Amino acid sequence: MPQITVNGRVVEAKQGETILSALDREGIRVPTLCHVKGLEPRGACRVCLVEVEGFRGLVPSCSYPVSDGMKIHTHSERALEARRTIVELLLADHPDDCLYCQKSYDCELRSLAESLGIHQRRFRNTSEPHKLDLSNSFIVRDEAKCILCGRCVAVCNSVVVNEVLNFGNRGAKAKIICDTDVPMGLSTCVMCGACVQACPVGALTEKKAMTKGRSNETRVVRTTCPYCGVGCQLNVQLNGEDLVRVTGVENAEPNRGSLCVKGRFGYDFPYAKDRLTTPLIRENGELRPASWDEALDLVASKLKQIIAESGPKAIGGVSCARSTNEDNYSMQKLFRAVLKSPNLDHCART
Amino acid sequence: MTPELQQRIEQIASRYPQRRSALLPALHLVQRESGGYVGREQLTGVAKLIGVPVSDAYGVLSYYSMFARKPIGKYHLQVDTNIPAMLVGAEEIVAHLEQTLDIRVGETTPDGLFTLSTVECLASCGTCPVIQVGDRYYECMTRERTDALIASLRRGVLPDMPVTANFGTTCDVLLKRRGTPNATSIEVYRQTGGYQALPAALAMAPAKIVAEVKASNIRGRGGAGFPAGVKWGFLAKNTGKPTYLICNADEGEPGTFKDRQIMEYDPHLLIEGMIIAGYGIGANLGFIYIRGEFAWIAEILERAIAEAKREGLLGGNILGKGFDFDIIVHLGAGAYVCGEETALIESLEGKRGNPRVKPPFPAVAGLYNCPTIVNNVETIASVPFIIEHGAAGFTKFGTPNNFGPKIFGISGHVRRPGAYEYPLGTPLTELLAAAGGVVGRFKAVIVGGLSVPILTAAEAEHLIMDYDSCLKAGTMLGSGGIMVMNETTSIPQVALRAIRFYAHESCGQCTPCRQGSRTLAELLETLVAGRGTSADIDLVGDLCRTIKGTTLCPTGEAFAMPIEAMVTKFRDEFEALVR
Repeated sequence: MPQITVNGRVVEAKQGETILSALDREGIRVPTLCHVKGLEPRGACRVCLVEVEGFRGLVPSCSYPVSDGMKIHTHSERALEARRTIVELLLADHPDDCLYCQKSYDCELRSLAESLGIHQRRFRNTSEPHKLDLSNSFIVRDEAKCILCGRCVAVCNSVVVNEVLNFGNRGAKAKIICDTDVPMGLSTCVMCGACVQACPVGALTEKKAMTKGRSNETRVVRTTCPYCGVGCQLNVQLNGEDLVRVTGVENAEPNRGSLCVKGRFGYDFPYAKDRLTTPLIRENGELRPASWDEALDLVASKLKQIIAESGPKAIGGVSCARSTNEDNYSMQKLFRAVLKSPNLDHCART
Repeated sequence: MTPELQQRIEQIASRYPQRRSALLPALHLVQRESGGYVGREQLTGVAKLIGVPVSDAYGVLSYYSMFARKPIGKYHLQVDTNIPAMLVGAEEIVAHLEQTLDIRVGETTPDGLFTLSTVECLASCGTCPVIQVGDRYYECMTRERTDALIASLRRGVLPDMPVTANFGTTCDVLLKRRGTPNATSIEVYRQTGGYQALPAALAMAPAKIVAEVKASNIRGRGGAGFPAGVKWGFLAKNTGKPTYLICNADEGEPGTFKDRQIMEYDPHLLIEGMIIAGYGIGANLGFIYIRGEFAWIAEILERAIAEAKREGLLGGNILGKGFDFDIIVHLGAGAYVCGEETALIESLEGKRGNPRVKPPFPAVAGLYNCPTIVNNVETIASVPFIIEHGAAGFTKFGTPNNFGPKIFGISGHVRRPGAYEYPLGTPLTELLAAAGGVVGRFKAVIVGGLSVPILTAAEAEHLIMDYDSCLKAGTMLGSGGIMVMNETTSIPQVALRAIRFYAHESCGQCTPCRQGSRTLAELLETLVAGRGTSADIDLVGDLCRTIKGTTLCPTGEAFAMPIEAMVTKFRDEFEALVR
């Protein structure tokens, strides 16, 4: 086991792990922008640079492996100066419209600038004018705000493997492209929105969240996606009763932050005018609203009646693909163990 | 895409251990066959054929400056305006062309005949100004020669416009055959002592070859000066994977035109060096990654490789000794950063030329994740001499820790710019004298290619040209590309042109290089335009100082030292521009 020293403190590290991974475990915070947990480090943004004794240059903690005896300084004057300069350089190519930005309260660049004590520009702003790409039904792209961290490219290619986003051009002209540099709405994008969730700044945002309020005005409710049986974990952001946006819960099974287009963007139904809000009972060819107790009592009495007259094989159940695994399990238990009927099927079976 | 074109791409792909490596050659081919550009449809076709996502293929296409995505003129006139060219009037050639053709840089004539572009260093520093038209170089251009070129192109003829390039050697190792007629042919190479080292090498144990190269102490000639034998020693052993040898012929450091002297005039010397090096390190396949602009030199190499194969010197069972070795010449497509070895490897794998994070180093996980050695042309071309004359023969040249002959490319304000082979440790004054002396009053010099700190004439007076002496003098030997400047040179202009080069060539991955070069360019533009302040000069210096040691690759920070040196040593010139 390699032993390293971090800011004068001796730390046990694991063989082959990166400096960042050891620091994370020890609760020593070094900022990152391009890093996506679980994916190959790119070492590109350079904000995670730390000073290691005996090294000429600063070392990217996200990609550099630990070795025994390493003496690391995460917040030395040199490391901080470099980090500050790098953020200042990113700001030199970033618009000054935080006041109007949807990401304002969750912007990692803004928060990083604040934590490094950057209060004004040292370098002239050379950012391009806004170039909004509104062609996608759910995702808004603003190239001007992109800091080229590459997190969107990483998740598009290595997590969801849609292979739509990539880097185009090079140097100062480098930018994120869709397919052959076509508008996102004309590309092969399936609108899973993984890129939006990965974006640390306002370069990729949810179209439907526009004008619905900032994140500091919202509360988050964790829930399970109602669309299919996978049971993806959602964080639903609400502003009052208004649904602002849905994100996948990172580090939670089964989806680990990923969602499909329906789960992330298909949330209009709670507000649908023709949505059922109570059970309905048909009487004389007409449907009338009823309470849950009344409806369930009716179903139970009818089932009992059929079983009494014709035996349990006379009834059958069809389970719903949109309910959770747990609900489907309960359904089959109800039929097989309680009602003793073998007739059970599922609507997704073809 | 026609079935015939598809078949040719398949043929290229079959040569490589991994199919994706054929992406750049396929794009070159498609561009040539489709009237000079690669459209969306063609790109999608190539991507499907090679088996890469289309976004990925577009990322590659748009990375390299030699690929066009829109139609261009029949003749693409590309004028090198980098510093060595700038010093001898390239801007006048550009202005003359703009006037003659009645278009601006970046435009195409209405008849679709000419597109005019300015490009970065074409490695013709000793024969500047240079205009590249398609695959051909037109060097030592004057207004008159430019007029003659245009007149000929209007008639549909790519003319032959020979030049006399200056050279000299006191070592007779790397430039031994320079000046010998037909030296590129295998007959002449053999008659002048070539392929003598190869049989001797194949009779030795591979470990002995490595030991001899180690003992010669030859330091990598690409610029970093890392001992080549030590690098070979880092190779991962018993990995069960093949080992690859790559010759770095991506000569693009402004001021550098030395590797070209070897490949253009003595290709068999490089090939013999590759076979011996391959045998020494246990590689059966070698690559020569040559910059795309050198397509015509690649043809010279291909011809030489075919000759060597015919004579059983390359291919299977070389000279009946049971050693197999093949060489693939791989064209880059216009990207300076591909001279950085991990970027070169990425490019050879058919990707954007982005340098990799290190570790691992190529000797452990390089090309296709296999142990790989990347050496410069000049380094590999020195290997036959080391084997034939022993390390002791090699160390007769040079000074301790700085042994061997070296090609110095001398450009700028000298009377006879050219390539001069002298032992390491030669005084700069002697090299300048060989190049005919400085024209006008000697003001400053950059001695190791653009990426090293500039020296004032006073600092350069007693400079000894070897790795250690240059370091002691506050600069670096680098590639040995010496750019001489006289009193007519404006250092702020040089600084601005330099930073524009680095900004253009940044791969764009890491923030300090991508945005640092852009911000510095913006600051220097403001200063040169007379709109800057003293604080801007300070800011240039501060930014250069902070960027050192923060970039993903050594090329990323390459601008920091030279620009810092320019604003520090010639501060008065910058101050004079401040209101």
